[in-house]
Order: sequence, then structure tokens, then C-alpha cells
Amino acid sequence: ASSQPLETLGIPPQDEAYYRGGVIKCRDGSGKFTRDQLNDDFCDCPDGTDEPGTSACPEGKFYCQNAGHSPITIFSSRVNDGICDCCDGSDEYGSNGTCKNTCWEAGKAAREKLKKKVATYKSGVVIRNQEVEKAKVALAKDEAELAKLKGEEKILQGLVDKLTEQKKLIEKAEEEERLIKEKEEKRIKEEAEKQAAEEKKAPDASQEADSEDANGNEQEGESKVSEHHDGHVTDHDNHSPEGKTSVVEHDITAGTRDDAPAETSAVPTKEQDPTSVNTEGLSKAELGRLVASRWTGENVDDVGKGDKKGHDDEFDIPEPAEAALEDEHDIPTPAEENYAGYHSEVEDDRHKYDDEELSNVSDDEYVDNHEEPDESYKSDDDQKSDYHSDLTASEQASWLDKIQQTVQNVLQKFNFFKTPVDLSEASQVRKEYDDANSKLSKIQSRITSLTDKLKQDFGKEKEFYYFYDQCFEGKEGKYIYKVCPYKKASQVEGHSSTNLGRWDKFEESYRIMHFSSGDKCWNGPDRSLKVRLRCGLNNELNGVDEPSRCEYVAVLSTPALCVEEKLKELQKKLDTTSSDLPGHDEL
Amino acid sequence: WKKDEFRNCNQTPFCKRARTRAPHSLDAPLSLVAGSLAVSPDGALTAQLSHPSRPRPLLLRLSALPPHALRLQIDEDYSTTTPPHRRFHVPDVLLPDVDSRTLHLSKPQTVAGAAASTVALSSDLDALVNHDPFQLTVRRAGSGDPVLSFNSHGLFDFEPLHESKPEGDTWEENFRSHTDTRPRGPQSISFDVSFHGADFVYGLPEHGSTSLALRPTRGPGVEDSEPYRLFNLDVFEYLHESPFGLYGSIPFMIGHGPGTSSGFFWLNAAEMQIDVLAPGWDGAASTENGRIDTLWMAEAGVVDAFFFVGSEPKDVIKQYISVTGTPSLPQQFAVAYHQCRWNYRDEDDVAGVDAGFDEHDIPYDVLWLDIEHTDGKRYFTWDRSTFPNPEEMQRKIADKGRKMVTIVDPHMKRDSGYYLHEEATAKGYYVKDASGNDYDGWCWPGSSSYPDMLNPEIRDWWADKFSYQNYKGSTPTLYIWNDMNEPSVFNGPEVTMPRDAIHNGDVEHRELHNAYGYYFHMATSDGLVKRGEGKDRPFVLSRAFFAGSQRYGAVWTGDNSADWDHLKSSIPMVLTLGLTGITFSGADVGGFFGNPEPDLLVRWYQVGAFYPFFRGHAHHDTKRREPWLFGEQRTALMREAIHMRYSLLPYYYTLFQEASVTGVPVMRPLWLEFPDDKETYNNGEAFMVGPAILAQGIYEEGQKSVSVYLPGKELWYDLRNGSPYKGSVSHKLQVSEDSIPSFQRAGTIVPRKDRFRRSSTQMVNDPYTLVIALNSSGSAEGELYVDDGKSYDYQQGAFIHRRFIFADNKLTSINIAPDNLGKKVFSTECVIERIIVLGLSSGAKKAIIEPGNQEVEIDLGPISLRSGSRSVAPTVRRPNVRVIDDWTIRIA
Repeated sequence: ASSQPLETLGIPPQDEAYYRGGVIKCRDGSGKFTRDQLNDDFCDCPDGTDEPGTSACPEGKFYCQNAGHSPITIFSSRVNDGICDCCDGSDEYGSNGTCKNTCWEAGKAAREKLKKKVATYKSGVVIRNQEVEKAKVALAKDEAELAKLKGEEKILQGLVDKLTEQKKLIEKAEEEERLIKEKEEKRIKEEAEKQAAEEKKAPDASQEADSEDANGNEQEGESKVSEHHDGHVTDHDNHSPEGKTSVVEHDITAGTRDDAPAETSAVPTKEQDPTSVNTEGLSKAELGRLVASRWTGENVDDVGKGDKKGHDDEFDIPEPAEAALEDEHDIPTPAEENYAGYHSEVEDDRHKYDDEELSNVSDDEYVDNHEEPDESYKSDDDQKSDYHSDLTASEQASWLDKIQQTVQNVLQKFNFFKTPVDLSEASQVRKEYDDANSKLSKIQSRITSLTDKLKQDFGKEKEFYYFYDQCFEGKEGKYIYKVCPYKKASQVEGHSSTNLGRWDKFEESYRIMHFSSGDKCWNGPDRSLKVRLRCGLNNELNGVDEPSRCEYVAVLSTPALCVEEKLKELQKKLDTTSSDLPGHDEL
Repeated sequence: WKKDEFRNCNQTPFCKRARTRAPHSLDAPLSLVAGSLAVSPDGALTAQLSHPSRPRPLLLRLSALPPHALRLQIDEDYSTTTPPHRRFHVPDVLLPDVDSRTLHLSKPQTVAGAAASTVALSSDLDALVNHDPFQLTVRRAGSGDPVLSFNSHGLFDFEPLHESKPEGDTWEENFRSHTDTRPRGPQSISFDVSFHGADFVYGLPEHGSTSLALRPTRGPGVEDSEPYRLFNLDVFEYLHESPFGLYGSIPFMIGHGPGTSSGFFWLNAAEMQIDVLAPGWDGAASTENGRIDTLWMAEAGVVDAFFFVGSEPKDVIKQYISVTGTPSLPQQFAVAYHQCRWNYRDEDDVAGVDAGFDEHDIPYDVLWLDIEHTDGKRYFTWDRSTFPNPEEMQRKIADKGRKMVTIVDPHMKRDSGYYLHEEATAKGYYVKDASGNDYDGWCWPGSSSYPDMLNPEIRDWWADKFSYQNYKGSTPTLYIWNDMNEPSVFNGPEVTMPRDAIHNGDVEHRELHNAYGYYFHMATSDGLVKRGEGKDRPFVLSRAFFAGSQRYGAVWTGDNSADWDHLKSSIPMVLTLGLTGITFSGADVGGFFGNPEPDLLVRWYQVGAFYPFFRGHAHHDTKRREPWLFGEQRTALMREAIHMRYSLLPYYYTLFQEASVTGVPVMRPLWLEFPDDKETYNNGEAFMVGPAILAQGIYEEGQKSVSVYLPGKELWYDLRNGSPYKGSVSHKLQVSEDSIPSFQRAGTIVPRKDRFRRSSTQMVNDPYTLVIALNSSGSAEGELYVDDGKSYDYQQGAFIHRRFIFADNKLTSINIAPDNLGKKVFSTECVIERIIVLGLSSGAKKAIIEPGNQEVEIDLGPISLRSGSRSVAPTVRRPNVRVIDDWTIRIA
């Protein structure tokens, strides 16, 4: 297929000089070889220096010129293996004519593709530059605002401090007044009581006894609950939350059976194993599903749908029990308490999760703990408008002065040494305090969200600044995937939403957005998502996939990736491949 | 693993009863009926065994199989009284010609002064039969030394079949929520077998174990132990160390000691439990030097047992193979690397993984699809949403010389829209439950039924399903994986089929349970042979197995776990399979359950590259673990491990050919090659590949050094750098992450192909490298077998088989292929491009090739072509002699 002389075969043009001498060195320094040994189909240099054109050295590389298309370098293992790797067929010189030269067609297609890509990049670079400019302005604005807010915060904080001081003094005065008043009232009351005391002795005693009784009952009830609860937790430790519903159900049934102890002695080996429960009393299909779920890791909730129904029925027991009075002592108490225990545990878990989330979040110094991360971005605009509507732009300059003035007045006006406390004056202080304080917290909240925003990594040129308030959506099968950079990603099906991860960071020099620590996966890791970014004119999310269980990948086209350097590179490539063409056309 | 989901011996009445019995304590010991001993017309020795309390006597038959095997068969004599059922004989396991190969025995001689007789089995073996109670001892004829004895401890019990239930006995057995109706009552058999002169016993797969030798299960020093259980089960997250039964069962045990080897095989497919008894178990104060007693117990069936005697362990294996069949010769591609995962989800995924290997220059030959590729777990169908164009997908893979494998399990979805279910139902091909209806169990598809593979007609029907016409979307490069064929039944007792289910011929499932998977494997393998019109060797991987499974394909060790202990136990497990006939086996590289630490994964590739069957596999909950996902350095290490396997493919294929003739496994315990070296007897960490290569696995995280025992008197050469090490010495070696310690034994020649391609298919025409390691007398030997790697033409002579002999500074290639096998001829233009001679003085500069007196250069060269390798050994450069020719190369 190639007219190239064997001895220069597979050598890239830039390396031709290296091979000119009579004795040539192995690049790895392991030895040298003569010109006769170049491409003699015997490997003398383990690194492949002497066999650029044959498959003799396992670590060698073969260069194909591919005139009409782009040159490529392939592994030596591809040379003369019967498979056409180079479009010019030069890698299969040993197998007569197996490979036709397809470089012209392939090259044409590749050039078309490249042209399109260059066009995309050209437009993309423009959009990107605009965004970068916008981002610069917006960032400067954000920073200015933040600086201003911090100044205001400082002043306002001063005022609030002063008002707090005042408030305390007022409260102290009021307290003193109250005590005096109370003392007086007490004295009057005591006198009255003395009179009535002798008549009322007996009923008092019976009341006390009653309340003691009630306390006792309560304690007993509590200890019962915790007993069940404890037992329950032991079992629960072996299961992950999703398996819980059916597990609990089995515990309940097991608890009423004689053979239950034998079952509980079995210690499951795997934490998440949903199946080490009492399998007696399951239907054949339920048992089959249950055992299958060990391998599949499927949610036993889904697996044992029949169970779930039975479960609900079970919780109905207390009600009919009321009708049958003689059973009252037997049935409802354990069932009910188990039920309650179960529910409270769910609550507990949820709190735990929240705590975790909060503590995670509070690792970041500035974040407002009371805001769901989810809402913080949504409410960002609201907050802003809230803040602005409160303190409209025209007023802004005077707003702070005004409040300063008012406070000043109030403080001067107030007379601390006057008793009793002047009610209207006190309420005025309180009002001012409340006003100032609420303004302060609004400012602080705004500072927090701004700070949070500004500490984000927006890329080398802040090209990702405009991602901050964006969410991108893509549909894949029955799911809608929603990716909100700097916040989180989710998978939505109808009304149910699964968290695929919270924003983690950019990876691979801003080519990947990583979301991690999403919802826990049954038998798997916490869900996570990697979004690969590529240059495109619109922000489009697609190609969502799950190559490993609960580890998602997706592709986002965005102008932010249309980098000028890359455009130049592509343009150059296009120019070179095109400039090679006339020669080929003559053929 | 959930201990209480599986029956232990105490919960198994036949086992408990037999196990707690004291030696010689039977109420009704069986004895030879006086005067019944005779030679039958076909040359076997026959006799009646009886006891007054029995409903009918037993018939005994002894026959000899040359050279050194004795067969003992005992069943009831149904001619006197007829029970409603007969005992089950396992069909289609023994080779059909076993009967015709038996020797015509001469008349037994009465032993003077004792109720005993002797019969000569061969020139050097005889059998001593004690009459009352019945005992059998196989002895060396000259010395009279016992080799194997049967019932020497008086534990032989044979529960007779009963006509009806004794009053007040239900015969039922309950385990957990399952009831076994046992309508036919008890019919168990137990007996003791002693291996004289044995230091250790081996065999009885399949159990998780880090020990190669079977550990004692009872007797002094053994606490709280179970017997080895043979009962094919799908065990979720099995233990790496447990005598409980796993996926397959081979009731074959080898005893070995210096100068003696013997084997015992009991052809019985019912649940079996075997005790290995620690010396002193019977209360005997001093035990005979080197004897191991064993107790064998089975729930049903007959005695059909083989005693094999060898001076060397390979003889014992050869004799076992002579009755259960030689391992089939796999296609070349099947010996290369396989890539599997539950699941490669769709055609894009398949294309992506395939491309990944090319991108990283890692060869592989087979890409596997697990259950999710089917339409709702209906085998022989495709999920058309994920695999819309299966033929095109296979063709694209095949364009690179690669194959694909799909899974086909025995559970048929009970779905009226599924053609296979319809057919099987209409034809009555399913296993029946105790009440006679099609058995309905639960597996992947949900409600499922199981074709009755005991029936040859049903196996034929099954085999036809693999035709291209029947299996839509299959192509000639698609091969098959049989999983779940224990059979696994999720809602059955112990996750399998109830014992009272009924098979063809009114056979209870309990009687053939351990062979169900074997028949299934057989039917599938036959299906692929049929599909290829007898021209394409089948490849079928099976999880369940039984004696004889070696004839039908490969076996793997099932759902192991991604931890170091499972890596460690894989070696004894694979070695044990090899000793019991199944040489084509391996463990899931990386471990099926869980995520291997990258270091473990790398080590697993380095060890797994030596497994006869080399496949990476993973559970669907695990992270992706294709070899290039763990950073460049680790990619390089895994690539290197796979490359090593590919370069050794000519050697492996030659070993597979040897196994297909002799049964001697590809991967061998050290003592198979060094039978007199006691140091090797219980070494389950190191192993031999063929006669030439020894490898030592690394089974601990971050291990820095390892002690490697190199047996024999000759040197060993490091496979990677050619450094020599002394034999008969334990070497403490530094361990690097690059490879596991591996050596070539001095005196051997290993053929390699050092050019790495995308798959083994592209290596067909590549030249060979011979690595010669000279022994202390300057000589070495090795073999090379080559055929087309695919067809059965080799059976008609289309192959080359060369022996390379190096002596007196001359390397000679001679033809060792037997003549007159047939008319077909295999031809190849392949040449030898490089001959590395380890242990040759480095002064040599030239070699002369005869005929032709052509002169070629000798240079110092590296032992492997890796960047940075040092030149260490005299290397004959480009001799370019054809492997097909006779020639001599003289070092000048």
C-alpha cells in the first residue's frame, strides 16, 4: 500500500534526522543499533527505537502520514495485524492490499467536521468573551456592594449595640418595677389565702396523689417504649434506611412468634443486608424476591410489595382492638409502641441527616445555617428584592443617616432615671431596636450570600460566573436531570426528586463539574455526578449516563468552554489539512 | 454468608447418624455370603453381601481397569424382593467405554486360615477381600503394602430401601420453613476409606479454603468442625475458609506421600459429607505411619467407587481422567483474557469498553454480557431497548478478532409469551414437584421452571436452541455462560431445588442434585457443537460442576469477594479443581462482590494472569474497574500482567493440549512436579504452570517481602530479569509492585510470543521466542503444540507438536506428533525470531542453523522487551527457522 522505503517506515518527519547516522542510539539509552537493524523486524531497543515501522517492539509507535487526512501515531502492535488503522493503509504493508487508501474521503469528512467545529468555536469565543466581560463588571459590582454592606453593617451594628444597651436598661427598670409590684400583690394574696387555708386542706391532698399516679404511668410507658426502641435499633443497625419498612414489619411479626429468638441469634455479615430476617411466613414469591435482593441490591420495599400491605394492616390493629374490649391488654400495646418507636426513629434519622448537612455546611464559615442550601440560591433574588424594596435605591443614601438620626433622637430623649418607666418612650426604643436589628440581619444575610458567591471558583477568567444563578436541564428516558452549578444536581421523575450530589468542584482544569455526596444509594455509594463540559453555542445538558452504580456522568455544551487558544489550534489544524489538499487533488 | 440458612451435619440425619458412629459398632455389619464369590462372564468379581436383618442382600461387583484402577459397585439385589423404587445410578458421567476396558479377572485365591480372598489386579497390585465383615484392601502385590482400604474401620452402612413407612415414622424432614416429604424413606450409605502412606489428602471441590491439603475435620486437635460437604449451592458471599459446599461437587480425593499416591472416587450425585479424620480419631494409640482415614456419607444412590493407585500423583489423575474423560481442548481465544461485568448495559457501553482496551493497548479476547442483556431474563432473547442490533455489535467486536459471551441460565421464566416456556410446558420438559406439577421456583425472572436436564431427549431439545435460527441475534462469534445451574432457586430450601422434586424416570432430585448443573453444562456445550456443525469447538463457562464437567468447558469459582483472603483462597481452589480433572478454571479477577482497593486489583491481575481461565468480573453495585481506571501507573501494571499472559499463550495452549490428553492440569500444585519433596505438600500459595514456571502469589496489602520455596536441585530464573535462584531453598525476596515472584525452572524451554496485539487472533502469524533455561548439565527441554485454535481438525492430524531439546550446545526441534491420525494437515509460516538461552556462558557470538549452515548472531539481550530492561542473556538473533520444520541450531 505504501511506496515508502522500509527503513524510514513509521518514522515521523520530525524524527527523520535522528535516524540518519550509521549507528543509532536507543532513546532509553539501553544500547545502540546499526542502520541495518533499523526496521529489520527484530527488537533491539526495548523502547522500540529501532523498529518504528514494524511490530517487533511491544512498546514501539508507528507513524502514518495519511496524506489527505491527518497523520497519526499508532501502537506498534497494530502494524501488520490485518486491521486497517491508518487511512493510507501504511500500517498493513505486510498484508497485500487489505487496506485501501481512504484518507481522501475520511479527510474530507474530518475537514467538514473540523470546519463546523471551528465555526462553533468562533461564535462561541465571542459569546464567551462577552460573558467574561459581563462577569468582570458584575463581580466588581458584587464586590463593591459587599464592601458597602460591610460598612453599613458596622454602623448598624453600632446602633444596635447601643439600642441593646438601652433596651437592657429599660428592661432592668421594668423588672424592678415588676418586682415591687409583685411583692405587693403577694402580700395581699397571702393574707387572703390565710383566711381560706383551713377549709381547703382535704381536696389538695387528693390532687397531689392523682398527679403522682399519672407520673408513674408516664414513666412506665416511657421505659416500655425505649425497650422496644432499643431492640429495634439493634436490628436496625444491620439495615440501611430503605430496607426499613419491611424489616420493621418482620420484627413485629417475629416478636409475636415463639421461634423468634433463634432468628435473632443470626448475625448478618453485611451491614446493608435486608434479607437476614425471619423468612418464615413469607409467601414463596416473597421469599424468592427477598433472596434475589441480596444479589441485586434491590430495595426490599419494592421487593416485598405484598409485605408492605400487610404492614399497613398491622398498624390498623389498635383500632379494632378498641371494639373488642377483652383483647385490649393483649394486642394494642406492643403494636402501638412499636409503631410509635418506628416513627420516632424515622424522625430521629431525619434530624441526624439534617444535622449532618448543617454541620457540613457550617464548615463553610459564612453560610447561614438556617437556610436550606436548596433555597438559598432561589431566594437570592428574593432577598435582593426584599432588601431593595425595603431600602429603595433613592432612599439608600439617606436611609442610613435617617436611622442614625432617629436612634440618636430616641436615645437622647429617653430618661433613664425616671420611674415609673415611660411606656411610650420604652416602646419607641423597642421599635427602633427591632427595626435596626431586622435591617442588620437582612444586611448580614445579604453579606453572607454575597460572600458565599464571591468565594466560588468562577474559572480563570471568571467565565463560569454566569453559571451561578443557572440551572441546566436535560431529559434522558423517563428522567429529567437538573444541574445547578455551585449548588446541586438532581434527577426528577414526576414529583419525586433524587439528589445526585451537591456542588463539589471543577476538575481537570475546568473541564468537569463534580457534584458529590448526593442521596445515599442502596447497596452503593452516595450518588455523584460528573458533568463534562465542552464548547457549544448554547448551554445544553445531555448524555446523562450511569456507568457505575449511582455514579452519573453527563455532558454540558457551553460557550464557557469555547476558548480562544483552542480556536486558534483548530484553525491552524484546519489550515494545515486544507493546505495539503491541492497536492492530493492533482492525483 | 448466613450459617443458619444451610444445613449442618447435625441437622442432616444421615450425616449425624453416620458421623457419631464408633468404629466397628454397627448393629448389622455386612458380610460376604459364603460361596457367593465368583468371576462373572464379563470378567468381574461378584458376590453377595448380607446380614440377617436386611430385607434383601446386596450385590457386589469388583472390576479392574488397567493399569491401576479398581472399581467397586454395590447395589441391592432386586431379584429377591422388589422395592417400589430402585436406587439411582448416575448416568452419562463415566466414559461409555469404561466397561469394555475392564480386565478379565482371574479366580480369587482363598487366604489360608482366614475368611478372606485375594485377587490379582495387575502384575503389581492385588485386592484383599475380607469376608466377615466385608472389607477391601488394595495392596502392592510384591510387598503386600496396603494402598487403599475400604471399611477397615467397620463404618460401612447401607440403608436398605423400604417398601412402606414403618409405623409411626413420617420420613419427613424439616429445615427452616421447608418440608422435605421424603416419600421413599432413608437410603443413605456411609463407609470409611483409608489412604495408606499419605501425608495429606486433596480434592473434593468445591470449598473456600486457603489450604491446598484438606484439613482434618474430626479427631484430636479438631474443634467444632463440619465434614466437607458436597452439595451444589448458590451461596451468597461465601466464606474463603469453610467446609460447607459451594457451587460444584467432585467426590474425588487424592492421597499423597513420599513414593506413593492414590485416589478414591465415588460416583454419586446425592448430597455427600466427607470427614477427614485426624490421626488418633479412632482412639488408636499409635497410628500406622502415614495413613489418613476418611469417612464418606451420602444421602442416597449406590456404591460405585474407584480406587486408583499410582506411584506418582500424575498417574492417579490420569486414571481418574480415564474414567471421567479428558478435558476438552479449548479454542485459543478462550485461553486469553476475558472482560466481564454485571452488566455492560448497552451497545454503547460495549463499544466504549472495547475501545478502552485499544486505547490503552491492553489486549483482550472476549467481552461478556450478564443477565441484563436479555428481555426480562428470558434467555435467548435481547433487551431491544439496550441491544437493538446484537448481530452488528458482535460483528464489530469480531472485526478485531474478538468474541462475545452471553449468559444462559436454566431457570425459564414462567411467562406464557415466552416461546421456550411454552414449548417446555407443552412437551412436559420441566422438572416436576413432589405432587407431579411443573416445579415452580423463584429466580431472576421471578416465577421460573427448570428443564429436566437428566433426560437426554430434553438435552437434545435444549442443544437445538443454540442454532442461529433459534437463538435470534446470535452469530458464530458468540459463546455461552451457564450460571445458576446448581440449580439456584431463591425460594427453595438452601436456595436450591427441593429434594423431593421429580426428574425423568421417577428420579428424585436428591439423587442427582450434584449433577444437575453438569447435565445442563453438557447440553449447552453440545448445543454449540451442533450450532457449528461439529467444526467449531464450544466455549461454555459453568458455575456448577460435577465429575466429568471437564469435558464440557470451563468453570469458575463463583461469586467471590474483593478482599485479600479471597485472592489467597483462589489458588487452592483452582489447584483443587485441576487435581480433580477441571483444569480450565479460574476465579473472578478483582473479586465479584465489593470494590477492590486498587492495589488488590493489581495483585489480582498479576495472580489471575496465571489462572487457566482468566476473566475480570464485577457485581453491578461495584464501581467500574476496567484496567485503565486507576491511574497510569496501575494501568501499566495491569497491562503488563495481561501482556505476560498473552506472551505465554503458546505455552498455555501447549499445556491445555497436554491436559486434553492426560488430564494433568495446566496449573499444578508444586508436589505434582516434585512428588518427593515434602516441603511442597501443603503449599497453597505458590503453584506451577506446567512443568516450567513457578509463581508465588502476593496476598497481603503492602507486603514488602515474601518467602518463596523453590523445589528441586536445579536453578530457577526470574521470569522478568533472568536472575538465577538456587533450588531446594526458601528465598526471602523483596516484593515490588511490578509483578509477583515468578520463575522458570532450569532444564526447561518455554515458547512465547512477544508481540502484543489487540487479541490473540492477530497473534496467529507472529513469530515465536524460545526461552531456554539450562540445567546443571547444560541441557533443557520443552514442547510446542500448535493447531488452528478453533476447529476439530486437530483430531484428524491438523496440528504440529514439536519437542525442543537443548544439549551439547545444540538446540534441536523434533516432531512428536503421532502419525496416521488422519489426513488433515496444519500449516503455518510462523518462525522463531529469538532464542534466549539462560545459563549459557556469554562468550558465544554465533549460531549455525542446520540444515543450510546459515550463520546468525548471538547478542546479549533482555529476557523481556520492556523499556529499561537490562540485557542479561545470550540471545540468538533472528534465526527465523519455521516452527513446522526439523532443524538444529548449534551455538558456535
